[in-house]
Amino acid sequence: MQALRKHISPGWLLVAPFFLVVVVFYLGPLLNILWLSVTDPEPGFGNYSALVTSDAMARILWTTFRTCLITTVFSVAIGYCLAYAMVHAHQKKQNIMLTLLLISFWISVLVRTFAWLMLLGHNGLVNNAFETIGLIDRPIRFMRNELGVLIGMIHYMVPYAVLPLMANMQTLDPRVMAASRNLGANGVQTFRRIYLPLTLPGIVASSLLVFILSLGFYVTPAILGGGKVLMVAEYISVQLLVTLKWGTAAMLGTLMLIGVLALLWIMTRFMQLSAVFGGGATR
Amino acid sequence: MQDKQFIKETLLESAHAYRAGRMDRRSFLALCGMSGVAMSAVMAGDAKAAADHIVMWNWGGISEECHGSAIGVPFQEKTGMGMKFDTSGPLEGKIREMVDSGNVTADVCDGDLFNAVSLGPTGHLEPIDYSIVSKDKTLPQYALEYGISIILYGYAFVYDTEMYGDNPPKNWADFFDTETFPGTRSLYKWANGSLEAALMADGVPGDQLYPLDMDRALNKIKSIKDDSIYWGSGSEVHSMCISGEASMAIIWQNRGKNIEMDTDGRYKLVNNQAMAMPGAYIVPKGNPAGREAVMKFIATAQEVPVQLDILDCLGMTPSNPAAFSEIPEEQQPYAITSAQNIDNIVYNDPVWWGENGGDAVNAFLEAIS
Repeated sequence: MQALRKHISPGWLLVAPFFLVVVVFYLGPLLNILWLSVTDPEPGFGNYSALVTSDAMARILWTTFRTCLITTVFSVAIGYCLAYAMVHAHQKKQNIMLTLLLISFWISVLVRTFAWLMLLGHNGLVNNAFETIGLIDRPIRFMRNELGVLIGMIHYMVPYAVLPLMANMQTLDPRVMAASRNLGANGVQTFRRIYLPLTLPGIVASSLLVFILSLGFYVTPAILGGGKVLMVAEYISVQLLVTLKWGTAAMLGTLMLIGVLALLWIMTRFMQLSAVFGGGATR
Repeated sequence: MQDKQFIKETLLESAHAYRAGRMDRRSFLALCGMSGVAMSAVMAGDAKAAADHIVMWNWGGISEECHGSAIGVPFQEKTGMGMKFDTSGPLEGKIREMVDSGNVTADVCDGDLFNAVSLGPTGHLEPIDYSIVSKDKTLPQYALEYGISIILYGYAFVYDTEMYGDNPPKNWADFFDTETFPGTRSLYKWANGSLEAALMADGVPGDQLYPLDMDRALNKIKSIKDDSIYWGSGSEVHSMCISGEASMAIIWQNRGKNIEMDTDGRYKLVNNQAMAMPGAYIVPKGNPAGREAVMKFIATAQEVPVQLDILDCLGMTPSNPAAFSEIPEEQQPYAITSAQNIDNIVYNDPVWWGENGGDAVNAFLEAIS
């Protein structure tokens, strides 16, 4: 017992039950998915070889990657401006802005997706208004294409981008910027050389969060894409429920998992992950 | 011994009461607690022992009410057994998962006949007992080993009368002709119906569609890709038409009826070359109520009055040939096997779809995305 205690901190005993729950109910099924991806329909790496041999698979992955990347760039850019404005607003204004942000954060993805159809759809508010005042003579196609998917996804993701950025910006010491100005840098220089580098962890954190969440998008592309924007999540669901190619679904699921883990690993090469997610930033 | 029997019966009774909502969860748990029996054990035992109802796995919405009144009521009169519903939609993957997990909770699935072809040979379905169910009360090609068609639904198309006033589209060739008939098309995202329509538009006769020439069909689909959007659910295509987004849409006939009504006739259904799709009842392997009970249930659903009730309530066409001639006047345009339509329709081949459906859906998705 003594020898054991030397190597294992007794604190682990407290964690052990939860650790076990995670192993049994989370890692177990996860391993099962991994297993399925190399055994269904037949043992081997047939499912994985489809990644190289099938144009379609490559296209679906590329569509997913491209859509997520564009979503991330725009969400973080918009989120950065919002977070900047919020952090530098008066407390009262900041509260109002935060409330509005959180309200949109809490509204379900389905509702928000259909709201875009109402607004920008063929017979939607915007097209109707433009037609009535004579700006256009036939409705603009905002929805049922890639543009529609991007609008829906970026809108959904902005709050996710704002929150980590805000947390990061709030920790900055304003005296640093004041010192920069004092030493003769103008506003643009101060922002580019002081503020932006200091908020880099926030930018990375929110980009990561947005990108990873975007990878799993299902409802928005399915509804706003008009069937033309096929992303991995929807494809997996079809393979599970309709075409019964569980091996393919498991392979894609595994691929997504590895992709996300790889992203996180790459991040750790550049910065401390705990700093990104707000803990122990000063170590 | 008597005590045990008493407790068991009390618990079974209360399990019924709890399921039916006559007893709240807390009282039931307390009762189980007092008698020292785990609730799950009672519920599980109950499901097996008291096979006093058939659980139908369907798609919810109005179908729950319609199946209840059309099939449930006569079935109860005949056998004394009730009917319950699981409305989560028996997709093929879900049926397979349910049977594989060993926890089968549904007796009969309101599925497609091609499900019977793909899931039957893999051991996920109970074979149909044709000593109870009648082969003559459906179309001859739609009585298969592991499933039987109870209703038919049809793929037809609707068009916008304001857009094509004097020269309306009349067949699939017109549907795919975006030069003569400009405007956005809406096609079914899961390939079914869309592929056959494309082949007929390309000149394949309706009775020589199968096996489907996938390359030819997909090329035709791709040729109108720029003018196409795709729908995944009935409500989605409904709203595409109501909003004027789609000028033509492949559609289920009963949905076409609703669109005609909701647009005050602006959209019109075309039944020429419509495709009859066999909707089928299939039974998951090891269903809780037992094979005989569920076969009696399926046999009830084949009766002519039941079939006509389903048509009236749900808009699904009878598959029992004896009911074809009794389709009421106002349903004629929307029932695929009515006297008005039956000479101009083509029949889906569930065997081809069961064997090739997975690959076909993937190829279709890859072509449109």
